[in-house]
Amino acid sequence: MPLTRRSFIQMVPASAAALALTSGAKAAEPIHHVTVLGGGFAGCTVAKYLRMWSNGEIAVTLIEPNSNHVSCIMSNLILNKRLKTTDLTFEYNDLQVKYGVEVVHDRALRIRGPQKQLRLKNAGWVNYDSLVVATGIQFDKIPGLVPSKVPHAWIAGGQTNNLRNKIIRMPDTGTFVMTIPKAPYRCPPGPYERACIVADILGRRSGYLDGTGNVAPRVIVLDANPGIMAEKGTFTSAFNDLYGDIIEYIPDAQVESVDSDNLIVNTSQGSFAGDVLNVIPNHGAQNILKVSGLTGDSRWADVDPVTYASTNTLFQDVYVIGDTQGTSQPKSGHMANAQAKICADSIIRTAHGLSSYTEERLQNITTNSACFSPITYDEASWLTAVYSYNPDTGSMGLVPGSLGEAHNWSSRNFNDMFTWSDNLFADTFK
Amino acid sequence: MRVISIKISGTLLIASAILMLPLSTAVAEDQTVNRMIASQCAQCHGTNGYARGSYPDLGGDEAKDLADHLYDMKGEDRPSDIMDHQALGYTDDQIRRIAQYYSTLPENGGD
Ligand SMILES: Cc1cc2nc3c(=O)[nH]c(=O)nc-3n(C[C@H](O)[C@H](O)[C@H](O)COP(=O)(O)OP(=O)(O)OC[C@H]3O[C@@H](n4cnc5c(N)ncnc54)[C@H](O)[C@@H]3O)c2cc1C
Ligand code: HEC
Repeated sequence: MPLTRRSFIQMVPASAAALALTSGAKAAEPIHHVTVLGGGFAGCTVAKYLRMWSNGEIAVTLIEPNSNHVSCIMSNLILNKRLKTTDLTFEYNDLQVKYGVEVVHDRALRIRGPQKQLRLKNAGWVNYDSLVVATGIQFDKIPGLVPSKVPHAWIAGGQTNNLRNKIIRMPDTGTFVMTIPKAPYRCPPGPYERACIVADILGRRSGYLDGTGNVAPRVIVLDANPGIMAEKGTFTSAFNDLYGDIIEYIPDAQVESVDSDNLIVNTSQGSFAGDVLNVIPNHGAQNILKVSGLTGDSRWADVDPVTYASTNTLFQDVYVIGDTQGTSQPKSGHMANAQAKICADSIIRTAHGLSSYTEERLQNITTNSACFSPITYDEASWLTAVYSYNPDTGSMGLVPGSLGEAHNWSSRNFNDMFTWSDNLFADTFK
Repeated sequence: MRVISIKISGTLLIASAILMLPLSTAVAEDQTVNRMIASQCAQCHGTNGYARGSYPDLGGDEAKDLADHLYDMKGEDRPSDIMDHQALGYTDDQIRRIAQYYSTLPENGGD
């Protein structure tokens, strides 16, 4: 879309600096430059809020290998065709045009903390002033696992379509086998939600749920954890009652290996064969953080939740937000967005020579999370929680009473789910 | 009075205005802190409190009304809605700050 100065002015009347950037006039010299790695929920939110809150005083370059982002949030609804991939695909146009973020399509390969340098696949070594790492997750290797044959569909996009197509082609009364990674993992209620969606798809298709078919399809859920990790009430009742004949839930099942040709998963609770196999491997921070030494011995990158700065002293001015960071807060997109705002505020303060550790600020560091889970074709549940900083422990803690889950799944929640995601997507990408 | 003059100039100017100008009030409250905590509502109520769809807008509300609303929800005997749990996540002073901040924003999010 050709962008005229006029249309731009209509879009952002308040941001004088952003205006200047795109209208051809010379922009004011930025006071600081921030490089952001990863254009997902965390990276896009931090880029947008850095620009918006600094009134254009901070220049932001976002580095992301893909030309757009496919949201994992709501992606289980691609499996039952309530949504298409295009419904969950977000372009980087708004960040560029409305907020003046520079977007570079490249992949980070390594970070040199002491030198404040970054190696990109195409551009080679470049310097950074401040670096925000928001690269999401990477899966552990599992012997025999071939992701095209046994999809995870836990990073949305081609993998999600792959899994959907396999479900479409499987027998109506066949067996779907899925595995749940060891916590902490991306989206605590997500795998249980997926089990419900698949049980609903097969239960309808076979006629078992409405009584027109008498053979129940099977959904075998192999959980590496000792029990259901989120919305326990909701999922226990969905697994036992609503889908009681379809879902079989097996806790404490650690995946050992996979036979991707014969669709068999070998676990500490035995071997399971399915018509479709959906293995979601354990995951941690991206490999580039490990090879760069940023994560040290941890699975995730440890940070100070006052700023989201890395606690690794070799990495000054490096911040880590979203699923990649290692606080005990849940790994969700809503939460990634929340952390990005704390981080943006801190970077702006630092650029102005102001402390992030004032008493007033320390008393007001909060984040929150929300997940909506579709349970049937047109009903959903939800989960929400607020976290706040505890200066005594130096960590984020759940605020008592704020943790809540829907009393029951309902069509009202299902509709609310779309309003919530619409707002979250807009606050992140638009 | 301070609030009114800020409101006209829009969201983005508040931070710099407060950071740079000495305030006449006895206790200068850090508006960037209020902005940070208020932004935690934006995932559901939209950037700068300008919501899409059926969720209510927060920008431009009277500070007292917005705060009272949240105190009410926080005080529910049996919290059941998402918002009841959200309200329980904040101290009374945090709610006051959030409400104060949204009252300085234009109703349409300034966007
Ligand atoms: C089925 C499912 C349902 C979910 N439902 C919910 C929900 O209801 N609510 C909720 O809040 N969350 C939900 N989530 C979780 C949510 O999707 C994640 O928590 C969120 O995406 C994390 O954001 P992030 O920015 O850390 O990572 P991502 O959004 O994954 O973004 C990471 C980005 O970094 C890029 N990247 C990776 N490596 C590099 C590199 N080397 N260099 C540069 N860029 C790189 C990637 O391409 C990607 O764009 C769900 C997840 C799934 C799978
Ligand atoms: C997880 C999503 C979510 C978050 C986060 C959230 N809200 Fe809400 N809010 C809602 C929904 C949904 C409603 C509609 C009423 C309902 O269903 O409870 C609502 C309603 C409200 C209302 C109107 C209540 C009424 O009865 O008319 C106010 C005021 C409000 N929210 C303020 C806030 C403030 C302030 C914050 C941040 C501290 C916030 N909300 C955070 C989802 C959210």
